[in-house]
Amino acid sequence: MKTMLLISSLLLPGAVHAAIAVVAHPSNQTSLTQDDLVRLYTGKMSSFPDGSSAIPVNLNDSAPLRADFDQKALGRSSSQVKAYWSKLVFTGKGTPPKEVASDSEVLSLVANNPNLIGYVSSDAVSDNVKVLLTID
Amino acid sequence: MKKSLLSGISSIVLLLPCTAMAEINISGFATIAGGRVLSGSGVEEFGLPPTFLANYPQVGVYEEEWSFKPDSRMGLQLSADLMDGLKVTGQIVARGADDFNASFEWAYISYQLNDTWTIQAGKKRLPLYYYSDFFDVGFAYLWLRPPADNYTWQIFNYTGINALFNTQLGSWDVSGNIYTGREDDKDNKLLSQFFGSNPVQEIWKDIVGGVVSFNRDWLDVRLTYMTYINERYVTRDGVVERVDWDGDLERRGKFAGISINIDYNDVVLLTELNQLDLEGSKFDTYMVSLGYRFNSITPYISYADFDSDGEVHNTTSLGFRYDFHSSAAFKLQYDDVKDDGYDGLMVAGDSKSITFGVDLVF
Repeated sequence: MKTMLLISSLLLPGAVHAAIAVVAHPSNQTSLTQDDLVRLYTGKMSSFPDGSSAIPVNLNDSAPLRADFDQKALGRSSSQVKAYWSKLVFTGKGTPPKEVASDSEVLSLVANNPNLIGYVSSDAVSDNVKVLLTID
Repeated sequence: MKKSLLSGISSIVLLLPCTAMAEINISGFATIAGGRVLSGSGVEEFGLPPTFLANYPQVGVYEEEWSFKPDSRMGLQLSADLMDGLKVTGQIVARGADDFNASFEWAYISYQLNDTWTIQAGKKRLPLYYYSDFFDVGFAYLWLRPPADNYTWQIFNYTGINALFNTQLGSWDVSGNIYTGREDDKDNKLLSQFFGSNPVQEIWKDIVGGVVSFNRDWLDVRLTYMTYINERYVTRDGVVERVDWDGDLERRGKFAGISINIDYNDVVLLTELNQLDLEGSKFDTYMVSLGYRFNSITPYISYADFDSDGEVHNTTSLGFRYDFHSSAAFKLQYDDVKDDGYDGLMVAGDSKSITFGVDLVF
């Protein structure tokens, strides 16, 4: 039992190093830059470049990929991101993206709503979603 | 940062099929801080012992014994999303400086007109300085508190209408707001309890102001302007007297400021320059802070200054912020205040103080 725990904890950091796939509904025809992605996840933009409404979905803190996304996609630590949002939330200037707990929740939400955008570990991508951007 | 009450009350909702129940989000923030004056001059003329006025409007005062009240506070925000762009928000704040008596400090409705504009109405913070409207949310900024010498004005709320905008100009994100309203503070704390001993009713009316921020990568520039009419009443021996200024029963204030902030490769530079013009009397404030982010620890140095005819003071601060948790930060700060006030306009004398505390959001 102890050995298994040890092995799984050794494997975990490897899983975090998988690339991040930014996913949307298969019907989404937009081309998204990383700047657009940052704007969507910092509340500065609320539509896709083609003008259709965009609703970002985030992973919550318990998902290891979240810290990775904050650092690699948004270029800030999770606590900087939280500080940024707390400034907006408590002054009525913005609401952070809704959070879910797992890749599979992101995938099922995104697969069923053309306005959503999310991200998952690239090895979790399914045929029901379209990858808009991959971040290493 | 967000918890939904919905799951907890869904069973109740099921029993009340006709009730239009909005999803209510609860979020909050807290700062628990303690500190003391290490040494200070006080002001002999006022019989004031060594004192550090850490928060002017709330009269957060440290003396030579440890106290956990002056900067400690907790806020709870309730927000109901009524869908189709309509929201109602209330923020209850309890402050150590007020013996933790809680009150609604924000209460407003919001209606999002389109992707660019949102209209809000109700009670809000007056967004004069850069940190004014999130002054209470310690987790959102670097220091233990925004520099006290700048954040000195006795009125910090207003009730009225606010229009927020958010747009893009090329690669710049442009946001801001325009607002109008008034504030009638029946028993103003700073004027009644610190700068005087008689109850003062302070009125700022015909408030009209605006803020615009330009943001691009590592650069953030904010411009602010506000004008208002001041009216004041003092109660002496049970008699209410209207205050006049050289015979005038009202006076106009005009506030203007610029803030430039840079966050580049772990270097953080924060600046503010502001001026209040009260019928020709100028009150100048500025501050400069420099920090460097070593992973989760950010040491900083800061200088803040207040200069007017008579009231003159500055604070040099040294400290660090340690993000020991994704939702909490520990801070330690040393403040050296120089009070060069004259003609009876000293504030609290010179002082050297130490403060430490934890900020969190939930």
